Amino acid sequence: MFTQLLHFWTPALLGFPPLLEPLLLAELKPGRPHQFDWKSSCETWSVAFSPDGSWFAWSQGHCIVKLIPWPLEEQFIPKGFEAKSRSSKNDTKGRGSPKEKTLDCGQIVWGLAFSPWPSPPSRKLWARHHPQVPDISCLILATGLNDGQIKIWEVQTGLLLLNLSGHQDVVRDLSFTPSGSLILVSASRDKTLRIWDLNKHGKQIQVLSGHLQWVYCCSISPDCSMLCSAAGEKSVFLWSMRSYTLIRKLEGHQSSVVSCDFSPDSALLVTASYDTNVIMWDPYTGERLRFLHHTQLDPPMDDSDVHISSLRSVCFSPEGLYLATVADDRLLRIWALELKTPIAFAPMTNGLCCTFFPHGGVIATGTRDGHVQFWTAPRVLSSLKHLCRKALRSFLTTYQVLALPIPKKMKEFLTYRTF
Amino acid sequence: MYIKLVSSDGHEFIVKREHALTLGTRKAMLRGPEIPSCVLSKACTYFTYKFCYTNSSTVIPEFPIAPETALELLMTVTFLDP
Repeated sequence: MFTQLLHFWTPALLGFPPLLEPLLLAELKPGRPHQFDWKSSCETWSVAFSPDGSWFAWSQGHCIVKLIPWPLEEQFIPKGFEAKSRSSKNDTKGRGSPKEKTLDCGQIVWGLAFSPWPSPPSRKLWARHHPQVPDISCLILATGLNDGQIKIWEVQTGLLLLNLSGHQDVVRDLSFTPSGSLILVSASRDKTLRIWDLNKHGKQIQVLSGHLQWVYCCSISPDCSMLCSAAGEKSVFLWSMRSYTLIRKLEGHQSSVVSCDFSPDSALLVTASYDTNVIMWDPYTGERLRFLHHTQLDPPMDDSDVHISSLRSVCFSPEGLYLATVADDRLLRIWALELKTPIAFAPMTNGLCCTFFPHGGVIATGTRDGHVQFWTAPRVLSSLKHLCRKALRSFLTTYQVLALPIPKKMKEFLTYRTF
Repeated sequence: MYIKLVSSDGHEFIVKREHALTLGTRKAMLRGPEIPSCVLSKACTYFTYKFCYTNSSTVIPEFPIAPETALELLMTVTFLDP
């Protein structure tokens, strides 16, 4: 049970011209029977949408994960009104009315990831040829826990399917391969990443060692070829998802790297650090393409007022033209790829994580006190040039682009050196 | 208020003038390169897509482009609208 509040509010833009500022659409707060207590782990460390956009998951602290069907509107219809507004149609949703689920994980939940579902045709073909393996043809949520366990849940029913053991410390982040092959990657404070095969009852198939400090984040490229991991020793590692070996180390950050994300066409990688920078990389060559520096908007009144703009989270928008960042200076920023300064800001205290709704239009953020907010995201109609670039880069590496018999300017455009 | 765009392999695409009339298409009509129909049809579809969703408030759907068409389409668009 939780209380809900609906706010409509245009945030002050602190003197900047108002351009596409994120509007707060809704805020969800967990209803807690006991007193609010900073020490008892009430943070929302992770938020996630299922890849088909039908569910939203939120680790609301106190060991609880909430699963909410998306879109949210139905939740706000008070009882008694339902009959009037739906008098002409019986429950027409094919699968009935999916209700929210509460998952009690028994300990602090740090990482969340949905599996891709419905399964792509390639997976259904695979399952037909492997009849001895149970076909997990349902939407799955993986939860990374405080003691290193990973619990695998079936979303529709809220049932616990599997318990994966192996990590020795907090599982901070999780990522499923986008192909639907049910391979799961986990990132942990025990300095390793692990690869799990959910087709084989969660068998651990590989341990990736090499990081020297906590691994904060992992992300698999949409073309499933690369895995990115970000850690406390300031480095970012790129691994091959085919051989599970290290491809390269990306150096450039000056402090712990805590968040990473690939662009939808796998051509770009962004990483966010406590050093107040987001770096945009070409993952194929390791080149740094952009530094997005998070500076103070107002000069501080005195030393005690200095807010350090450590980054907490960065994510790409679904069409690949914008980034959202959450920083400790209490701002949610929206960036357009080709510009060096943000295009919009919204005040957001104690933000920890952010993610875009897969079909665009909404950004979800989670905070230290267990709340979740939903913000409007810029509505984007991609240019035909960008759509072509995205289509090409979804299967061409940077080196393949450079080998094409096309003019230099077009190569620069396709490799995101120019926009 | 329609214009006709003709591809290199003889297909004719009749589109609304207001959808298609950018500097690029004017250029193409005067002295353009030969554009194959698979590319031209995709460009025409994009004109309509852009017109439909530019001033509406509905969710903008994805605009898929087949990989085999993408390169030629990009080169055509770059030529028409550098």
